[in-house]
Amino acid sequence: MSLLRVENATRAFGSLVAVNDVSLSVAPGKLQAVIGPNGAGKTTFFNLISGFFPPTSGKIYFDGKDVTGLAPHQRVQMGMARTFQITEIFPELTVRQNLRIPVEVAAGLRLRPWISRRMRDEIDARVVELMLQGNLEDKANRLVGELSHGDQRATEIMMALALKPRLLLLDEPTAGMGDQETYDITRLIRKLHREQSLAIVLIEHDMRVIFHLADRIMVLTEGRVLADGTPDEIAADERVQAAYLGESH
Amino acid sequence: MSQLILFNLFNGLIVGAFYALMALGLSLILNLSGVINFAHGGFLALGAYIAYTLMPYVGFWGALLIAPFLTAFLGIIIERLLIRRLYGRDPLYSLLLTFGLAYIFEDVSRYIWGAQSVPFIVPGFLTKPLSNSLFFLTGYRVFMVVLVAIAVAALFYILNRTRLGMRIRAGTMDLETVSTLGVNVRVLRNLNFGLGIFLAGLAGVLAAGLLGLQPTIGTSLIMPSFVAIIVGGLGSLPGTLLGGLLIGVASGLTTVFFPSATEAVMYVMMGLVLLLRPRGLLGEEGRL
Amino acid sequence: MKGPGQRSTNALVVLILATMPFWMQYVGGYTELATQVLVMALAAMSLNFLLGFTGTLSFGHAAYFGLGGYGVAMIIKYIAPSTPLGILVGVAVGTIAAMVIGALIIKLRGVYFAMVTIAFGQVFFFIAFRWNSVTGGDDGLTNWKRQALDLGFTRVELLDHALTFYYFVLLIFLLAAACMALILRSPFGRTLLAIRENERKARFLGIPVEHHLWLSFVISCAFCSLAGTLYALLNNFIDPRALYWGQSGNFVIMAVLGGMRSFWGPLVGAAIFVVLQDFISSRTENWMSFVGLFFVLIVLFFPRGVLGMIRRRSSQ
Repeated sequence: MSLLRVENATRAFGSLVAVNDVSLSVAPGKLQAVIGPNGAGKTTFFNLISGFFPPTSGKIYFDGKDVTGLAPHQRVQMGMARTFQITEIFPELTVRQNLRIPVEVAAGLRLRPWISRRMRDEIDARVVELMLQGNLEDKANRLVGELSHGDQRATEIMMALALKPRLLLLDEPTAGMGDQETYDITRLIRKLHREQSLAIVLIEHDMRVIFHLADRIMVLTEGRVLADGTPDEIAADERVQAAYLGESH
Repeated sequence: MSQLILFNLFNGLIVGAFYALMALGLSLILNLSGVINFAHGGFLALGAYIAYTLMPYVGFWGALLIAPFLTAFLGIIIERLLIRRLYGRDPLYSLLLTFGLAYIFEDVSRYIWGAQSVPFIVPGFLTKPLSNSLFFLTGYRVFMVVLVAIAVAALFYILNRTRLGMRIRAGTMDLETVSTLGVNVRVLRNLNFGLGIFLAGLAGVLAAGLLGLQPTIGTSLIMPSFVAIIVGGLGSLPGTLLGGLLIGVASGLTTVFFPSATEAVMYVMMGLVLLLRPRGLLGEEGRL
Repeated sequence: MKGPGQRSTNALVVLILATMPFWMQYVGGYTELATQVLVMALAAMSLNFLLGFTGTLSFGHAAYFGLGGYGVAMIIKYIAPSTPLGILVGVAVGTIAAMVIGALIIKLRGVYFAMVTIAFGQVFFFIAFRWNSVTGGDDGLTNWKRQALDLGFTRVELLDHALTFYYFVLLIFLLAAACMALILRSPFGRTLLAIRENERKARFLGIPVEHHLWLSFVISCAFCSLAGTLYALLNNFIDPRALYWGQSGNFVIMAVLGGMRSFWGPLVGAAIFVVLQDFISSRTENWMSFVGLFFVLIVLFFPRGVLGMIRRRSSQ
């Protein structure tokens, strides 16, 4: 059974159809990449999955349940987490505080006006664990706004992970990064994917990253699905080469 | 009874026209610059006092013509000196600044012209009732409604047909694009502020002729103008116009049946609108 | 919020407040003025719960302040001569009003939120102003006095002992401040910081933003109406001016003047504002110009507030 199933999703803004009749199915633990030229509708597609806005038509199922009309926070509760193309963090809070907020939300504490000492210790331990995973432990008390681009991105990914998702949506995690940072983030994603058998949908421009990580690749152009298959199939697909790979290489 | 209703309906329309004139100016500034101009009522009062001061020299008509321009000029200066520094900062600061200005304007008006109401004399032929049966229909009231209508028409003409107006409208929608197209945004905001204050000044002269003139004249009109903007729809000037007229007429009618709720009724309307259409009657999507 | 100096700062604040009536005269004050500082500080701190720690500007908090005041005054005047009952009812009235209005406005943001809070604040002003027979209209509610506290084993006289009343207010002030600080340091408080910092992100971390904003608004208004009850008790009087938008503006300027980002900032701002206003209004008729000028100068030269400046300087 698939964890995420998108059926014929369409989203129009006025006369512009940004996503046009796109279907996708992601099995638990798989890494699905979404690629395509700029303006192909990748981020709009992500916004439909994560609930930023509803589709004009079509359905979205998560874990077998229809989530088409649900708000973002409700999808998070069900086990869906996302990051943004332009890193979205809490810049004036420390790394520790940034991570602490989603950890507490995931522990169902968001409305608690106080917590017990034992609970606080558990939260702290989980925050430390996440910082270790993201190689952020030595920056725990720095303001996130002051960190490097790569560390900010790592913080954002760990914040999503703090929610204990079953599906992680990553929107161009290596955008605007140097080689070393790209390498670090790619390694982090692969580690999370392998160790926690987490299902991931990944939008990416960097072909090295894509072919290194993905189980399946979907190609979007002008809001439509051009091809969907394994990395080998996509690499061999002539239409894809003509429409996309040819241009960017 | 029907005459009483007609009287209050017409009264409401006049009051609504004031609210609309005031609210249109506020709306212009809010939409382009993101500033809630709390001093708008203060500018209104200044416009009226300037007219009052000029009248012995240039007469009613001269004052009516000159005072709004002088008020607008004052607005342009204050925008340049003070308000401009706060663009792009948290709207909290411009709100507090104009709030302080409102205090200063009111107090300065009181210092110069006194706390008591001063006589604001309009030409005699305008104060006579136009007909015996409709005693309330004085020439001045009709004249006011006509003048407000002309002012509003002129405003929409400027916004839709002139270069300045089209730039203001474009800037309201997407300031960044307008500035990359080579429009000087600072000048645009400055002139736009002046335009808004011109309307306040005009409203001031007209209001003084009807309600008499005291330093608090502006403060009593500013809250309804906020309500007019919210009811009519955030970001929409036609909405603001509609909102002003609606709440004016509604409070006019309420006076007939339930006088003590005259002011409250517009807030009830605001509550209903927010409940049913949070964006306001003609509000645009995405402008919350 | 947290930090090595936090505990000693709190101790210092308590010490200063506990001794305030004894040194107030040396800065030109008197006991009632000290009490007024506490009352205004509580109002400004409650506003700052929303402004500084949730990132939402309400310009209509005077409404809840005034509702609290009218609540306590009407209970004592018409229903039962009990100070605690009056306070409870006053807070309840303000809180219920905030629940209803909050539900109508939480979808709005930024300047629009501010504008709607201003406008809604005026509803209660007009009710108090117009409903003469019950509220006393423009003249306000007079001919009632704060009542002695009956603690069972003893009675605490509040009326004729300005100093006793000061400590009564101080006790409530400290309890309220402790409550707000606890909430801000809780998981719920951190969700408010998250909303302040980046609302969209908060949403995608699973926080139902509207619901949390509504709660924050209601909590803030509840404490503001508590301040309003104390204000009415202090003066044995309440009138529509307590509900007026000018009062709301004063709360905001106190919070900004002291420093929005620090917990005790509004206390500092309230102290400066109240003492200065008392000083100016006793010397000139044109105090409005001075207050207005004060607003303008703070915005232009002091936007971070006193504590914000100190903190910035010490971190450099």
